[in-house]
Amino acid sequence: MERTRDILAKDELEEREISFTTIPFGPQHPASGHFHASVKCVGEEVVELTPYPGYLHRGFERLMEYRNHAQNTMLCDRICVLDPFSNEMGYVNVVEKASGIEAPQRGKFIRTIMAELGRILSHITWIGIISMALGLDSGTRIAWGDREKIIRLNELATGGRIYPCYFIPGGVRRDFPEGFKEEILKVLDYIENQMKLYDNLVFYNTTFTMRLENVGILRAEDAVALGITGPNLRASGIATDVRKDEPYDAYPYVDFKVVFKGKGDAYSRALCRRGEIIESISIVRQLLEKIPEGDFRVKWGLTKKVPSGEAYFCCEAARGELCFHMVSDGTERPYRVKVRGPSFSHTLAGFPHLAKGVYIADIPAIYWSLDPCPADMDR
Amino acid sequence: MDNEIVSILKSKFPESILSSVSEDKRIYLLVKREEFYQILSQLKEMGFDHLSDVTCVDMLAQGEFELIYHLWSHTKKIRGIVKTRIPRESPTIKSIVDLWIGAQIHEREGHELFGIRFEGNPNLMPLFLEDWEEIPPFRKDFDIREYVKREYYGEDKGYFGQG
Repeated sequence: MERTRDILAKDELEEREISFTTIPFGPQHPASGHFHASVKCVGEEVVELTPYPGYLHRGFERLMEYRNHAQNTMLCDRICVLDPFSNEMGYVNVVEKASGIEAPQRGKFIRTIMAELGRILSHITWIGIISMALGLDSGTRIAWGDREKIIRLNELATGGRIYPCYFIPGGVRRDFPEGFKEEILKVLDYIENQMKLYDNLVFYNTTFTMRLENVGILRAEDAVALGITGPNLRASGIATDVRKDEPYDAYPYVDFKVVFKGKGDAYSRALCRRGEIIESISIVRQLLEKIPEGDFRVKWGLTKKVPSGEAYFCCEAARGELCFHMVSDGTERPYRVKVRGPSFSHTLAGFPHLAKGVYIADIPAIYWSLDPCPADMDR
Repeated sequence: MDNEIVSILKSKFPESILSSVSEDKRIYLLVKREEFYQILSQLKEMGFDHLSDVTCVDMLAQGEFELIYHLWSHTKKIRGIVKTRIPRESPTIKSIVDLWIGAQIHEREGHELFGIRFEGNPNLMPLFLEDWEEIPPFRKDFDIREYVKREYYGEDKGYFGQG
């Protein structure tokens, strides 16, 4: 890796008048999601990668200033399509913090259960996407089929499959339906069983390991400097997890370990996500055992005003640190909301850094090993 | 530990720290813009190695922009929230790219959506908007509804500019 970088020092190439080829990566959906990068290369080696985001910029932060807090929870779903519960979790918590209310215990437990199911959902979707990027098509079909099981749970509890609109400041919109606990346990058993299949088919498959091992090595100090968080940072050996460091909602009541690896290559990032699915299954089981009876929300009127001031809240989304900063001016609408999505740093800072000096064929593997979400990046 | 950090900062920069709160493993600081860079670099030396975000808030009534730097320390597990204010007429501030390289894209976003000039940032090209000619869209004096009506439903436009 170092040798390639030395040879491909940009100035030197210009001096020697070596001609570049520029290749577009994306924005077609199967390749990169709604994201375009221009890859400048010499022969097969990448010299520079320039990201061009913006295909999914919908200006949510600004739109939220025109809507009340209950409406904004629905906008939050759309920030990241694959991981809606974490975004709702961040927003409702920041509003609760700013207005000084607290959700009842049952509401907190329900929120945490759904957020963890959302994490499993997001990681299983990722198994499908990275299998597609590496040409392991059967992995894609099976993973996206299993994703449907959790989406059914979403539908059962909330009525929405992809965009649940379930959390609300002060708790959740409605209680779990009857028999939902058993349904969750059935799905968890099924996914736990499927993990053996994924191990054989994806994680320990030679096609998979050979494409990802020693590719896109992100050193710990680079990862920290670039603002990388979540599983991508933990794969570089830094065990930071907001759920553990600043426990929120029902996380203080569960026992789980932070999955981390040391090497920092694309394969470690994959194994981190595999470990997190297993941890999340155990978290949901513990929460279902401990979930208390009682109210699931405190009353929150649609036009409830939030006292002027500001609040800041961070949670651990499936992709990393997700923070909301909200400024209120005493009306029912926020004055300013800032969303710090994990994919913003991963794709715009981390991806160009990792792409320098690699072969073109490794670009999709590196990109998808970071698990980017263009919707979350553009907002 | 958080109180310790605040007292060290206060002794080093007695003039510049306008207010400080430390509670629940979080430090909130409001600092003067003249020395904000020195304070941030001091915080970085003290172990705040992760720059989480750079947030801009348009304080239209006060005629100021508020810049909020969200820091986190992977070793100490403390959050630091440093705020500074710059005048709205000349929104210029020193870039912190040489402290945290990850700040580059956050500043680029702030430049595009609020029109703040970060001096020393090597690349402030637009990220999201294409051929934008209006005032930066996240400023409070930019009227989204008026813009949408004019741009997409104007008399000469027809429905979505196709008429």
